[in-house]
Amino acid sequence: MTATLEFVRASRWYGPVIALNDVTTTVGPGVTGLLGPNGAGKSTFLKLAAGQLAPSQGEVRVLGKRAWGSPELFHRVGVCPEPDAFWEGLTGLQFLMALLRLTGFDDAECRGRADQALEQVALTEARDRKIGGYSKGMRQRIKMAQSLAHDPQVLLLDEPLSGMDPVNRRRVVDLVKKLGREGRTVLVSSHILHEVEAMTRRVLLIHNGRILAEGDVREIRDLMDEHPHTVALRARDPRALARAVVGSPHVLSLTFGAEGEWVTVQTARPDEFYSSVVDAAVEAGVSEMYSPDENLESVFKYLVAR
Amino acid sequence: MPIYEQTYRRYEARAPLRTVRFWPITREALRLILARRAFLGLLLVAWGQFLFRVIQVYVVTRLPEAGRVLPIDGRMFGQFLAIQTLFTLLLSIFGGAGLIANDLRTGAILVYLSRPLTRRDYVLGKLGVLMALNLSVTLVPGLLLYLIALALAPDQFAKWSLAWIGPAVVLHSLVTSLVMSLIALAVSSLSRSARVAGLGFFGLVFGLEIVRGVLRALYDRPESALLSVQADLQSLGNALFGITDRAFQLPWAYPALVLTAVSLACLAILRARVRAVEIVR
Repeated sequence: MTATLEFVRASRWYGPVIALNDVTTTVGPGVTGLLGPNGAGKSTFLKLAAGQLAPSQGEVRVLGKRAWGSPELFHRVGVCPEPDAFWEGLTGLQFLMALLRLTGFDDAECRGRADQALEQVALTEARDRKIGGYSKGMRQRIKMAQSLAHDPQVLLLDEPLSGMDPVNRRRVVDLVKKLGREGRTVLVSSHILHEVEAMTRRVLLIHNGRILAEGDVREIRDLMDEHPHTVALRARDPRALARAVVGSPHVLSLTFGAEGEWVTVQTARPDEFYSSVVDAAVEAGVSEMYSPDENLESVFKYLVAR
Repeated sequence: MPIYEQTYRRYEARAPLRTVRFWPITREALRLILARRAFLGLLLVAWGQFLFRVIQVYVVTRLPEAGRVLPIDGRMFGQFLAIQTLFTLLLSIFGGAGLIANDLRTGAILVYLSRPLTRRDYVLGKLGVLMALNLSVTLVPGLLLYLIALALAPDQFAKWSLAWIGPAVVLHSLVTSLVMSLIALAVSSLSRSARVAGLGFFGLVFGLEIVRGVLRALYDRPESALLSVQADLQSLGNALFGITDRAFQLPWAYPALVLTAVSLACLAILRARVRAVEIVR
């Protein structure tokens, strides 16, 4: 495997806090999951790879060049940040066009590429709507589109599925897999194992700023199955959703949220649950779905203790 | 082992023009600012004085005795630009307060710096917005007024001894626009709220002007002018255009030094604050 992303004894600290500790690893073409609980150092890892932070020690190289202080790299690197980084007053199309202009394309080329990126994330119909009026899932997708529009060789995606409904989650998962198959290097961070598992089998496990393990996700998955997984869904008709999913063998328990729109499900097989819930989710008008689970933390504790 | 299709082909986009990487930032921000009707109204009002001065020149060329009340000479341009400085203040508040603050609030700065741009390009792009706005109410009407004065009153203005007016208009406009733009940007980078940044800029510029007024009233010393950016610009303008006013009667090097120090301080603030990632210690 040719390494497109290299960390050589890279550390990053913020004052007395060590966010990333002496990390040496390589990432090559295809999809790689960067998996770790909140606060593990995933975002710092991605920011170092994206050249947005300088390593306090060691070196980070992307496509053979130092990531820090090499803005020309961003012709070939796409970054999908976790925060909603938008100009709310722009339409989806204007947003993409503005960013493509910054990348160096002329107006005609910007238009073509923006349309293509919008199509890839299924936002063509919403392209002339202001981003301020976009739902959480649409905002995630427009962020994804801006990272793709300039056709980068390396993609760094920070929690790209956060807040997406099941249909769009599926769509984005398929898109990420396709990008990986094309030979691009795609690094996806997440604190949710089954999200990463849906996209790739190759993972980097990060905990307390250190790479704890790297390799096949199945081994981690076996550990995860010992812990039931929680999924929260926001639906227009939560009771209809509950009726539809309660019979699934993958559902261990189900509760209604205090505000009436939320249904919380516990499942031992989250990916099977997601596959089985798609139709019911569409009918019940599911607008948001996320996993509040912190049980990856317990797996990491287990791995650390082992 | 995964087998890749390798359908991806290497990046095919052209590299941006190296010297104007900041221009898309300026263009996009200007487009958004100029879409606000209130802002266009302010720009229109800022050109009101220009019309008045054109009429003044016209009237004095037709009725020379009116020149006793409204003289037309090099000083007229200094007075014109001194008033226009007030509009650069307003434009910097309404156009500049949110330029960086909004990007810090929404995290858009991270998206900018995930493009083939340096932090310098980003600051230049934002600075370009304010420079364009401020020059549009100083340099453009100032030079236009000079050309009109040359055309309407060649006897008075087409003299070698008054050839300094053009360069003086350019220099004063550039200094005023640059200083105001840098202060507005630096203040904008210190906050995540455009309103707070706007109030901060207003407070800084007008607050110091009030302090200067109080000190001037108490001690009657022209050095009090050094405290206020507005007064420093006025002192420099007076020196350039030969205007005598005791309140601002200082050697030009003093206000020039203060304005240079203020500009350098603003650049230092921008260097510290404009980062893709805000590090909270």
